[in-house]
Formats: sequence, structure tokens, C-alpha cells
Amino acid sequence: MTTEFVFSVMRRVIFEVLPQLRGREIDRADSLEELGANSVERADIVVLALEELNLNISPVEVFGPRNIGELVELLNAKLAAV
Amino acid sequence: MPSSQPSDIFVTGIGIVSAVGRGKAAFLGALLAGEQRFSVMERPGRQHATGFIGAEIAALDSPDRVAESVLRSASLSARVALSALAEAWQDAQLDDLDPSRIGLVVGGSNLQQRELVLAHARYADKIHFLRPTYGLSFFDTDICGLCSAAFGIRGLAFTVGGASASGQLAVIEAAEAVAAGRVDVCIAIGALMDLSYWECQAFTALGAMGSTRWANTPASACRPFDRDRDGFIYGENCAAVVVERASRRAAPYARLAGWSTVMDANRNPDPSAAGEAAAIRQALGRAGMAAPDIDYVNPHGSGSVAGDPVELAALHACGLTDAAINTTKSVTGHGLSAAGAVEIVATILQLEAGELHPCVNLENPIDPAFDWVVSRRKSTSLRNGLTLSFGFGGINTALMICKCG
Repeated sequence: MTTEFVFSVMRRVIFEVLPQLRGREIDRADSLEELGANSVERADIVVLALEELNLNISPVEVFGPRNIGELVELLNAKLAAV
Repeated sequence: MPSSQPSDIFVTGIGIVSAVGRGKAAFLGALLAGEQRFSVMERPGRQHATGFIGAEIAALDSPDRVAESVLRSASLSARVALSALAEAWQDAQLDDLDPSRIGLVVGGSNLQQRELVLAHARYADKIHFLRPTYGLSFFDTDICGLCSAAFGIRGLAFTVGGASASGQLAVIEAAEAVAAGRVDVCIAIGALMDLSYWECQAFTALGAMGSTRWANTPASACRPFDRDRDGFIYGENCAAVVVERASRRAAPYARLAGWSTVMDANRNPDPSAAGEAAAIRQALGRAGMAAPDIDYVNPHGSGSVAGDPVELAALHACGLTDAAINTTKSVTGHGLSAAGAVEIVATILQLEAGELHPCVNLENPIDPAFDWVVSRRKSTSLRNGLTLSFGFGGINTALMICKCG
């Protein structure tokens, strides 16, 4: 699985949780917080991404990344480890 | 509770969402026309190889002031509450008031059962993927949070549970909060109780919910006080009622003249004529009124096999056989937690219109001595209405509503 695929999943779930962003470009350097996601929405985005990727790990394991690019890399690494 | 109640508690705004219409004009029109929308329910989570009959809201417009990202994780009960509140808020023109002096009381508990059942089923074998927002939305008080955030309410906000009396109890608690000076304005919401098939099955097994008798003709199923009733028929609905002291409006809808809550000291669903009559007498007494002063009774009238005759016995014991009486649930269905507030709105709108809606399907009243409104009736002399709500667990509430002006 490529980081490009994981990034496409991230974009999809971000638009699902934050529909007001639809049509906007999402950059790997963006942070979820900068995109306007509150703490609950950030948690929903992460868990939705885990479900889409069928990555059965605790969301706590992917806390910490400072932007979407770092989160994509971390999710990709977790996928590779499964 | 004092022996008499403040004489300056008014209703200044109302909002309503129901299966027969959203907004006060559409709702009143549907009531007066005796419309109904009963059918075998189709909303996901309502059936389990069953054929439960009810009235479901067809479509819902969301208030502009609530972001789509917020609505995404809001339950059906919450979205309907936001819609009813938006109408009532606008109606009472609350935007310019001090938000710290505005309160909110949400009537109902265990409101979101269907959504919980759907979430449990979806994530039963993948619990790691359960949405974190479930940790917010499963609370009934999420409705308080969503409504207070959307409308900037900063006075008080809490839920009250009184089973099928919750909606009226919320209005009573809102009136008490205003009377006590805790807030200047308090909005009561009778919240939509979102039943799953589990509750429908249990209500049916208890003998409370119909209808096996009318399974093939859902339009005939909801028939409170009729000899051929076989239980209550569910209806999705929700109402918001704005209560305040010394009305800012030149022409408030109505005055809340007296109210009462009486317990039967009984956990079970069986009703008590003594408890219901006690609630009626207390509400009348606190309003300084007697039975002959009452022009109209909006009863609980659920269509329950056990409850309907007991309610008529209570009304009879209180000398209320001559007041006009109809059955709002025959149009709306039984909204359970919402019912009391919905019927307060129905009472207010009918008093204002000077017209009473018909009882649908009341072909053979169990007691023909009452003044049943069998067809739409104009009555310019309508001034004082009594509305009743009863809940499992021996909860009886009564509220006197008087037309202003």
C-alpha cells in the first residue's frame, strides 16, 4: 500500500467529517487543527481512517503526528507492520 | 409547591416538528384536517422481521445556524430538537436577550435508542472503529450541548425524565425556573424519542403498544378512547415551548395558569384514576379555577387499553365531562417523551385559532357521555384548556393553559 493511497483515504474522511472543506485542496503540510477540526472531529477522522484502512489498532497508537503528511506516514508504517 | 402559582408566566414562542407537519401553521392545518401518516415504519432500526406501525417524519430541514459538520454526528432526536428550537427561538425573538438569562429544559431520557442499536450492530465485530463521537452523542444531554452551542444559551440546561410525561414535565420545570427567577426565559423541549425495534417489541409485549388488530390497515390503528383500540401507536415528533415572565410580547400565545405533578408511588405502567384526578384538582386549584371554567381538555389519550378508561374516570371524578375533548395523538401518534410538549402546542394553537381538531378513528367512544370533538369545530368562546400527561412509573402531570386577551 502506498502513502498516496493512504493520503487519498485521509482526504476522503476529512471531507466526510468536515464537509465544509469539500472542494478545497488538502496538503500534506496541513494539520487537522489548522483545517478547523476540533478535538472530537480529529478523533473521528483518525478512527474513520483506521476503519477505511482496516487497521485494527487502538487510535492512541497514531496520536502525535503534527500534520497530515506525518499521520499518513505513520498509518502507512502501521499497515506495513500488520 | 405553593398552593397558588404565579399568574404571569406566559408562552411567547413555539416550535413543532411532527410527521404531519413542521412549523406551527402546517401542524395546525394538519390537526384541523385530521391528517395522519401512519404506516408500517421504515426507518432503519425500527423493524426486526416485525411490522410495527407508527408515523415517521418524512424530511427535515436543518437550521442555518448549525454547521453540517456538527449535524453529521447529531442524533435524529438532536436534529429534530434543533429544528423545533429554531422555530420557537425566532418566534419569541430571543436573539437580543442576555444569553445568561436564557435556560433550556429538555424533556426525555433514553432518547436515542434506535441510533444506539444501529451503532452497536455496525461495530459489534469491530469495536476499535466505533466513532469517538459516540462518547458524546449517547448522552441525552448531548441535545442540551448542541442546542446551547447553536443558540448561545448560557443560563441553565438540563434534561428531565418523566417517561411519557417528560414533555409536559419539561414545560413545568421551565415555568418553575422562570417563576423562581433562575432565568428570565426558559425553553422547554419535548424531545423526539427515537424508538428501536427493541422498545417497540417490549411495549407490545407489555400490552401498551398496538396494533395487531389493525396490522393491515395502519390508518385505522391509532384510535384513542375508541372501543376497538388495542394500544398506543408511536409517532415521531418534538415541540419547543418558550416560557417567560411578564411577557415582552404584546400578545403572548397563552398564560400557564397552574400546573401539578403527582406520583402514584407505583413503579408499574398501570394508571391510577386517583393520581390523575389529584393532579387535575391541584392544577385547577393553583390556577384558581373550577371544572366549569374549563372549555377544553387535551387528554393524555394514548389509546392504551388500560389507560384510556382510567383517564375518563379521572375526568369524570373531577366534573370534566362537559368540556370539549379531542385526541391529538390520533393525529400525531404517541411521541412518548415529546407528547406532553406537542400537546401543549396543539392546545395553544387551537385556543388561538378558536377551533378544535377532530378525533381521528373515534367511531365508538368507550364513554359517549363526554363532549367528543368528532369533526372540526369552531368555538370562539374557547379560553381555558387543560392538558394532561401520564408516564410509566406512576407519573401524572396536569397543566392549565389560558388564552390571553
